[in-house]
Amino acid sequence: MNRFLRICFLVLASLSLFVVSACGASAPAKTGASSVTDQLGRTVKLDGIPQRIVSLAPSNTEILYALGLGDRVVAVTSYDNYPPEVKQKPNIGGFSDPNLEKIVSLSPDLVVAAPIHEKQVIPELEAKGITVLALAPKTLDDVMSAITLVGQVTGTANKAAGVVSGMQKRIKAVTDKTDKLAAGQKPKVLYIVWHDPLMASGLQTFHDELIKKAGGVNMITDATGYPSISLETVVKDNPDVILAGIGMGQGQDAPLKFAQRESSLRLVSARVNNRIYGVDSDLSGRAGPRIVDVLEEFARLIHPELFK
Amino acid sequence: MKTDISKERTMSAETAASDPAWAAHLVPWRKRTYAVIGMCVALVVVIAVATTVGSVSIPLSATVKVILSKLSFLQIAPTWQSGTDIIIMEIRLPRVILAGLVGAALGTAGATYQGLFRNPLADPYLIGVAQGASLGAVAGFLLPVTGSFLGMGVVPMFAFIGALGSMAVVYALARQGKSLPVTTLILAGVALSALLGSIVSYLIISSGDKMHSIVFWLMGSFSLSRWSDVRLVLPYMVIGIGVILLYSRPLNVMQLDEEQAQQLGINVERLKLVLLAAATLITAAAVSFVGTIGFVGIIIPHAVRLIWGADYRFLLPLSVLSSAIFLILADLIARTLLSPTEIPVGVVTALFGAPFFLYLLRRRRRVIF
Repeated sequence: MNRFLRICFLVLASLSLFVVSACGASAPAKTGASSVTDQLGRTVKLDGIPQRIVSLAPSNTEILYALGLGDRVVAVTSYDNYPPEVKQKPNIGGFSDPNLEKIVSLSPDLVVAAPIHEKQVIPELEAKGITVLALAPKTLDDVMSAITLVGQVTGTANKAAGVVSGMQKRIKAVTDKTDKLAAGQKPKVLYIVWHDPLMASGLQTFHDELIKKAGGVNMITDATGYPSISLETVVKDNPDVILAGIGMGQGQDAPLKFAQRESSLRLVSARVNNRIYGVDSDLSGRAGPRIVDVLEEFARLIHPELFK
Repeated sequence: MKTDISKERTMSAETAASDPAWAAHLVPWRKRTYAVIGMCVALVVVIAVATTVGSVSIPLSATVKVILSKLSFLQIAPTWQSGTDIIIMEIRLPRVILAGLVGAALGTAGATYQGLFRNPLADPYLIGVAQGASLGAVAGFLLPVTGSFLGMGVVPMFAFIGALGSMAVVYALARQGKSLPVTTLILAGVALSALLGSIVSYLIISSGDKMHSIVFWLMGSFSLSRWSDVRLVLPYMVIGIGVILLYSRPLNVMQLDEEQAQQLGINVERLKLVLLAAATLITAAAVSFVGTIGFVGIIIPHAVRLIWGADYRFLLPLSVLSSAIFLILADLIARTLLSPTEIPVGVVTALFGAPFFLYLLRRRRRVIF
């Protein structure tokens, strides 16, 4: 059955490819169409200023709203929750499994996608002649480039420049203070993503960059992404501050409770000095303009003496 | 392989020298007794090594001192680094012991099912226990209930209920009057497993941000093992494995076939019921706390059979010991290979166990069952 569906899907997909390429050949090329390179390195051809935008990730939605494009957003994912009014928008399904039919039926002239959509969703949408812009920010600088890119594509370049310079100013206000800290003044910070299995934020994550910019040292120094780590590493490495992601699912604070109660962590200095804090995991992992809010929060938690 | 046990014993001495294939199969008594003693020693060594080695390096001397210092009649001053005793006593040792207990349970249950069903493909999960436990565990992850009962968290409790529940359903479906036809039992188990498995799959894909925890649980992990888990699991293991070991002689007779066993004075139906109950209980207890760790239960009994022969009086205790050793080592690899990152132990058991088993299979090419 599964195989049958897959074959049907392939046949339909190749048919639609054929139709689209046939149309493309016959349509006269419009003058003035420019192109940009998106964050997956794809060349995106632009044809006028998009008026009907579909966002395939909550972070993309936040960028669009920050640029004042809320009215032009016609649909978002079921995970979107910010700004609050976004919940009124039609949704196209989940972040990892958007409903292609629903997207096409909205006849968008721009879909803003994420890396997770690279292999299956983006080719499918492009085959249907829909313009797709992919944002793939991995660092704070990438977030600001993403905002600039969206500004460029949607004709809101000035607004984007304003948002970016506002973010830069706030980041600089933090790093001006933390850059002066000597190595000995930087607390060792562990960010707990989940407690069972125990998972922490490693290198090449937003949390890692935020911890470092906020004047801390990430306890995880030899693993990238979100590794499952053993409890004994935490006892041995003895972090000064533990940040625990909370708010996963229905407002769960299980990782925070774990950090506060796990008996084998009782000698860890974060616990001894009462420096275990809950951090909104939904917000802190979201590569939108509000990532700066998270940086300021991290700075306050890691260096309360510098940031009141 | 259906072997007449008494014949096997008399043949073993005569044919051992002349025919190497038979010699390998009919291991002399003395050798098998040594094997049991040797594996006991190996288990102790493996426990010691696994407690010493970990992502944090601790010298063997410190490990030994920490453990000895907990014995009240010895006075040992703490010379180790702070936190070392917590790592040894509260993180590693309960984990190693739990891995050993779970391994022993799965290996014993696997050997029992294989003997009871006279089917080399039988494993502890054949008749629906794993899928029942999985469904229970997934429900535990997804339902908005928290808290604990008798020290058992929601997930292990639901998993335990699910495992026993699915077993009860399979038993009720397969029973015909007073007898329990083995084929019907297996088929009912396989069908129920498929049904529950599809529900579990659906729940997983719709579980959103809990997906990672659920998948990790399903692959099996000892990452948060505590003494309280060991205390909860231990009574089931001791009673369950003890009962099964007592029935090793009837299990030998069962290898003839059910009718002959009946004629030889074995109450076959009662034997089936007792062994099924015991094997299911230890499997359910094991799986509930650490997830559905695959491969141990099917392969270790076969490996034991390949090396030491099919006599259940030795097969069962050797399976207990070998499976415990195997799972402790698998967990050791899981937590040290990519240290500090941990890999699910279920991935390791098959990844490292399968090549070893295939090697055994190639080396001794003969019918193993």
